[in-house]
Parts: sequence; structure tokens; C-alpha cells
Amino acid sequence: MSEPAPILSVRSVSKSFGAVRALDRASFDVLPGEVVALAGDNGAGKSTIIKAISGVISRDGGDILLDGKSVAFATPHEARDSGIETIYQDLSLADNLSIGANIFLGREPMRRAFGFLPVLDRRKMAEAARETMARLDFHVDRLDAPVAAFSGGQRQAVAIGRAIFWNARIVIMDEPTAALGVPEQRKVMSLIRSLKAEGKGVIFISHNLRDIFDVADRIVVFRRGENAGERRPAETTSDEIVRLMVGK
Amino acid sequence: MTTAAVPAPSARISPLAQVARLRAWLFLILLAATFEVWTRIANGASFVLSVYNLQAIAIFASAPLMLGLGQTFVIISAGIDLSLGFVMGLASVVAAHAANFGLARLGMGPAEAALFGIAVGVLATVPAGLVNGWLIAVLKVPPFIGTLGMYGVSRGAAYLLAAGMTVAVNDDWYGAIGNGRLGPFPVLVLLTAVACVALHYVLSQTRFGQHVYAMGASKAAASRAGIDVRRLTMKIYLLSAVMGGVAGALYTGRFSAGAPQAGEPLLLDSIAAVVIGGASLFGGSGTIWGTVAGAFVIAVIQYGLVLVDVEPFWQFIAVGGIIIVSVLVDQTQRRFLGGRVDE
Amino acid sequence: MDRRSMMKFAGAAGAVAGLGALTSPARAAGKVTIALIPGLTADGFYVTMHKGAIAAAQALGVDLIYQGAAEWNVALEVPVLEAVVAKKPAAILIAPNDKQQLIAPLKKAFDAGIQIVCVDTFIGTGVFQTGSGDADFPVSYVASDNVLGGKMAAAALGKAIGGKGKVYVANVKPGISTTDQREQGFKEGMKAFPGAQVLETQFNDDDANKAAAQFQAVLGRAPDLAGVFGANLFSASGAANGAKQAGVAGKVKIAGFDAPESIVAQLKDGTFEMTIAQHPAEIGYFGLVAAYAKVTGNPVPTAIGTGFTVMTKANIDDPNVKKFLYSSK
Ligand SMILES: Nc1ncnc2c1ncn2[C@@H]1O[C@H](COP(=O)(O)OP(=O)(O)OP(=O)(O)O)[C@@H](O)[C@H]1O
Ligand SMILES: [Mg+2]
Repeated sequence: MSEPAPILSVRSVSKSFGAVRALDRASFDVLPGEVVALAGDNGAGKSTIIKAISGVISRDGGDILLDGKSVAFATPHEARDSGIETIYQDLSLADNLSIGANIFLGREPMRRAFGFLPVLDRRKMAEAARETMARLDFHVDRLDAPVAAFSGGQRQAVAIGRAIFWNARIVIMDEPTAALGVPEQRKVMSLIRSLKAEGKGVIFISHNLRDIFDVADRIVVFRRGENAGERRPAETTSDEIVRLMVGK
Repeated sequence: MTTAAVPAPSARISPLAQVARLRAWLFLILLAATFEVWTRIANGASFVLSVYNLQAIAIFASAPLMLGLGQTFVIISAGIDLSLGFVMGLASVVAAHAANFGLARLGMGPAEAALFGIAVGVLATVPAGLVNGWLIAVLKVPPFIGTLGMYGVSRGAAYLLAAGMTVAVNDDWYGAIGNGRLGPFPVLVLLTAVACVALHYVLSQTRFGQHVYAMGASKAAASRAGIDVRRLTMKIYLLSAVMGGVAGALYTGRFSAGAPQAGEPLLLDSIAAVVIGGASLFGGSGTIWGTVAGAFVIAVIQYGLVLVDVEPFWQFIAVGGIIIVSVLVDQTQRRFLGGRVDE
Repeated sequence: MDRRSMMKFAGAAGAVAGLGALTSPARAAGKVTIALIPGLTADGFYVTMHKGAIAAAQALGVDLIYQGAAEWNVALEVPVLEAVVAKKPAAILIAPNDKQQLIAPLKKAFDAGIQIVCVDTFIGTGVFQTGSGDADFPVSYVASDNVLGGKMAAAALGKAIGGKGKVYVANVKPGISTTDQREQGFKEGMKAFPGAQVLETQFNDDDANKAAAQFQAVLGRAPDLAGVFGANLFSASGAANGAKQAGVAGKVKIAGFDAPESIVAQLKDGTFEMTIAQHPAEIGYFGLVAAYAKVTGNPVPTAIGTGFTVMTKANIDDPNVKKFLYSSK
């Protein structure tokens, strides 16, 4: 059976912070419509690898291929322009801005008032917010409210909404459920499934093995910056994953 | 696609939060009403319906407001610009020297020399703004410390350029910019109004303004969204310095002299205006119209208390009291809205 | 008494008389070093005081050290003082930044054999060599007699307003010895004009913008306001601007205090009716002479009051008046 070509290939990427070798020849692939879970103990290098992908940090060695072409993003902006959206547990939203303003943050649409004066196109932002949130099955009645007024899960939905609005091909989520209650965790899980259904590649980091087994197509385990193994959920158990994580 | 039904988010802005948001205007209305009654009793005259009073208050509010406008951007971005106190003085001294140089050496007429002085004075603040931005954005110096350093540097520079004194300017045009009228409107007040409208537009209607708010809420979020936070920081402090420059250059016209210490007593009033206007010193909130109201609150209290002949020391208590109430309202509002404001 | 200029010569004249004797060659053998520590360096008043001290130092063949802090702050002045003490001058002229906090550091210098002369401001009560208290060790206090300065302002302003109408003092803030004394002198002086009424003092925190608004507010309640005494430069120029904004410039008379060069134009265009110029150069000059006299074993008066000049539009072009402008050059 021939698999489709990977959208993203991480090949032997290394990164050191001073004496700390955070990544040591880390590798994995992401296929379209696939959810890849990154597992590993604290400090295993999971966040570091996604930062290397999304242009937050530079890599020391190795290669990252997007559609088979080598890329090295100098800024998160460049990564976003190439269709890579990253969602962080707590860092991705400006709490004081509306959903629309957050979706468009850094790429605000402008219109001309009185035919000459460029002003923010708030209506367009609100419209996009309404549509996107509806797509995720969130129906918002106050589009001008700051996102601080929403719950953790709702805000996570805004972050995910931003990713799908911009037609991200790869959505990276670093511990998106860490601070959520159980119903909201479920909601995020279902959002991940919808992303998958739309054919996007998803990289999902979690310490919650139940979540991982719930949504992942493939589990990539890291230990001290190195690949420690790769399994399909159907072919493994939590115990085995934990053993790979701690190296016993 | 339809997935598990979850209650739809219904974020409402509570009436209480609305009141909190407009508190500066409420203060202002309450103050005006109080003084209206008081002056009618004490002086037998109206407080609000007096062109004389309105002109005096508007002129009074102009100088701290000019500083406060730039400071609003800085405070929304979760910074603070203490250097303004002496950046304004530096601009004032440089503008005086430049106008004199234009008159004496470049053969300029009074109008040209006045504009030349203002332009050079404002330009003189550009390095200060850029250095502030660079210290904060690139070297990661906390704004409080970085701008305090620049406070000292511009103070030294201003005093050196003025040789420890004030620098007199004899230019009728320049004086007219500082003290003239267009109809019932003092030129100073008109210029300040133009600055308010322009900066309200920049803050509320442009990408730059939007990014300032985002940065104030979370620098990381702004940067992850692809905003160049360094450049943004540089621009914010540059704007603040330039507004200090405008205030300083106008001061020179108004008092016919450049003075190194022109802005120092205004610095705290300008910050107070921003805070009374509804900005949070933690960043992320604030508006230009709030700052305008804040500056007028301070001006009305101080002017009004003199007008009704209250012991001077009450003025300090009154202004201090309003600041405390303002900050308390802000805290309460945060608690109501902000159970979710992480960090 | 000269109409323009008054001086309390009691001490000053004596010190000048001694000058000839002090420069006798016998004394010139070992060069005397004397230090001057101003209240702050960045101030025309002290710059001018320094020039007076230089003039005296040259006349007497004294080595003069000039060191000070950039701002008015005890925490900055004390380290400067300590650094100067380490150079072991024979005497120090100092404008202490605080009456109380400078006593101990200066006592230490005094105990190390250095004579102390207070200029412009003082420690303790400002009354020295009384044999009582912990701050009577300085040789002398050389300063403008600020009460007198206030009285002169009252005399001149009272006359300018024809002895009637309302006046008030625009002042910086309470608790500054010099400006408090000017206000006190002014109020005493105004008693000579029973037709005039002195209103509540307005404090502006050295903010000309606030002083201007206060003027307009006072005028708003008292349309018969006739004059204002600004107890320092910014108080006066602020009040003058208030008058301009209110359209009563020249009608309400503004008397200022201090005389930077920029005052000339403002006297001429009527912004200021008059200003009271201190003689900081004299303070520096007599302070240095007093210190030198003490070091060389001569008696010195414990208080030397220097004079003032009333500057007006009418006299400002007179070289004898003009020379009292504070100058950076
Ligand atoms: N900016 C940095 N400077 C120095 N060391 C860093 C930096 N970022 C990460 N590290 C180190 O690199 C290693 C990998 O960190 P990383 O954050 O990638 O781990 P993680 O797998 O995401 O852990 P967790 O599950 O706790 O989030 C750790 O030892 C960490 O201390
Ligand atoms: Mg991590």
C-alpha cells in the first residue's frame, strides 16, 4: 500500500541550548489528514521541536521539509504564511481583543473610510469570526467581547478557529487540553477530529495518554531529545508507550 | 460539521464593566456638577457656562495631555515612559536654540524660525525614543529602568544645552503659537485636539494600534501571531518621545523660553491622566478618549478648587483620591471580567 | 539706601576690607585649597555663584575645587562631599541640600580639620558659632536675605499697583526655606499698603503650567486682582502666562524672583513688571573670602547677607543693573 507523500518531514533535527542538548537527531513525518501525537517526559524536547518547525527558534542541524522542500523559517510570521499554524495552551491569544481581532492578529483586514482613510475592517473580522466559530460549532452572540470573557475551551476553539480560517495545512497544538475541564477537553478532541477530517496534518502534544490514544493516528515518542520509538495506537498499549518514554 | 454540543459562548459585557470603562467621563461629569453648584454658591457665577473657565481649563489640560497621549500607547503596551519628563525639556531647549539660530544666522523670518524651531525640537527627541525602544526591545531592559536612564540622559543634555538656565526666544510667531487664539479657541488647545483625534485614529483604527493592544495583553501571543514585537516596541517609544517633543516645542512658544525642567512636573500628571482614563498599568487596556477625560479630571479639580478658594493642600488630596478610586475600580472590573485573565 | 540695589553690608563690607591684609605675601607661601559644593550643578544661580568664587579665588591665590551633584538630592550630595573631603581642602563652601541630614557628614569633615561655610542654604538653624547645638560648627552662613528680598518685592509691587487691590503669592511648595522666607517677607512688606489685600498663597510644584491655571482661577474669582508675586522663576513666569492667556497681561502686575538672561525680554515686553535679582556671584565671592579669612586665622562674621537688585523695564539696560543677570558665560 502506498502512503500519500508527507506534508511535513522532520529529518535528524538537532538543537542545543548551551550545554543542554534539547534535540538530538529528532525525526518524524506528518501525512495529510493525519494526527501525529508527540509523547515524552518533561524536558524530552517536544516543545523545542515544534518551535523549530514554527519559526520560533532556529535549528542547529538536520532538515525540515514542507511538501518535500527544505524550509527554515526565521519568524513565526513566515511559518504562518506557509500554512503552519501553532496553538499554545496559553500564549496564542490576546485576551483583550475580540475573536475576530484574534483570528486576524498580525494580518488585519483594512478598508477605506470616506474613500481614502485606511481603517480596520471590523465588520469583516466579526463576519469571519462568526463563520469560523460556526464551522467549529460554536455560536457566538457577542462578537465584540474580549476573549478573556470566554472559557478555556472556548478560547482554545478560537485558537483552532484561527488556524482553520487561514487554511493551515499543518496545525500544531502544544498541550491544548492541559488546563481544561473534562467536557472542554472532549470538545478540543472533537475539534482535532474535524481538522483531520478536513485533510489537515495535525501535530498534537499531550501528557494525557488517554487523549493521545483517543485521537492519534501515530505516536512518536521522544526521550532526551532523541527518537525513542513510533507506534500506531492500535498496535500498542499505554504501558509500552510509558516504557519508551522513560527508557526501561 | 457538527460535533458534540457545547453551550455556546455568550460573553456579555456587564453594565458594571461598561460603567467602569467610562469612569473617567463619569468622574468628569460629577466634578463639573459639583463645581457648578459650588461656584454658584461661593462666587455667584456658573462654572461650566463660562468661556473663560473652559479656556483656562483646556489650556491647563493641554500640556499633560500631550505627554499623556504618547504615554497611553506605552502603557497599553504594558510599558511606561518616565523619560518623557526630560525629553520634553530637551525638546523645549533645542527648539528655543533652533528658533534663535534660524532668526540670527539663517536669516529666517519669525514664522519660518518658529516652524524650524518646532521641527528641530521635535526631531531632537527621536534619538531618545529610539534608544528607549532599543533598550527595552533588544536589550530587554525593563521599561521602568530603561526610560529612567533616558530621563537622566535627556535631563543632563537639556541642562547642558541650556547651561543650567532657560533659553529665551523672541519670536512673535512662536509666541502666537503658544498663546494665540483662533476665535474663542486657544491655538494650543486646537493643536492638542488635532493630536487627540489623530492618535485616536492610530490607536483604534490601524494595525499598529491593534498590535499595541495585543502586545499589552501578551507579548508572546503577539509575537507568535507574527507581529514583530521589537519593531513595534521601538515605534511605541518613538511615538511617545515625539509627543514629548511636540509638548516641549509648544512650551517654548508659550513661555517664550526653553526650559530643561519644563516637563518634569507634568510627568506624573500625564501618567495619572492615562490611569484615571481607564488604562491599566498591567497593559492591554486604555483609550485616547479616556486619557483626554483623565487629563480634564485633573485639570478641573485643580482649577476648580482654586476658583472656589479652597486651601491649596486639598488639591493634592483630591487628585490622589481620584487616582486611588480609579485604580480600585480597575481592580474590581478585572475581578469581574477577569477570572480568566491568566498570569 | 540705593533705590535699585540694597545690600546688607554689615558682614560683607568687613570681609572685603580684610581682603588686602589677607593677600599679604607672607601668607601666600603654601597655596590654600578651598572647595565649593553647589546645591546642584545644573542651575544658573550656582553657575553664577561659582563665577564669584573664582573671582575671589584668583584675587587671593586660592586653588578652587568645584564639585557637585546634578540634582537637588541629599543622597547624591553626600558622596560628592565625601569625595571632596578626601582631597583635604582647607575649607569647604557648601549649599546643603537638607538642614538636618547634612549635619553629620559636615561634622565629620569639620572634625578632620576642614572649615565649613554654608552658602545659599544652611544646616541646623543657620545660626552658627553660638556654642550650643550640634550644628553650630560652620564658620559662617553667606546667602541672600530672602525675607528682605520678599520685602523689596512687596515695596516695588505695592507701588506699581498704586497701593490697592488684591495680590497673592505664587509659590513652589511649602517647606523650602528660601521661598518660605520670600513669602514671609512679602507679606510683611505688604502691610505698608493697607489698601491692598493679600490672598491665599497658591502652590504650583514648580510647574509653570499649573501656575498659569492658578492665576486664571484666582482671577476668575477675584476680577480686581492687581498683582502677583512669583516667589521663584517658574511661579512668576507661570503667573505671567496666565495673565497673557486671560488677556490681562500688563494690567495685573507680575513681580518675579531671580534673573536669568531670558528675563530681559520679558521685562521689556511687559510680561513681568519687575523681578528681584539675587546676587549669587556675591555669595560665592564672600563665601570664599570668609573661608579664606578663617583658614588664615582672621575673624569672620557668622552671617553675611548679600543684596538684591530690583530690575524693571526702565532700568534693565543700565549696565549696573544688567550685570546682575545670572549668566552662564
Ligand atoms: N530557551 C531555552 N533555553 C535553554 N534551555 C531550553 C530552552 N528551551 C528548552 N530548553 C531545554 O531543552 C530541553 C527540552 O525542553 P522542551 O521544552 O522541548 O521539553 P518538553 O518535552 O516540551 O517538556 P514538557 O513536557 O515539560 O513541556 C529541556 O531540558 C529544557 O530545559
Ligand atoms: Mg513542552
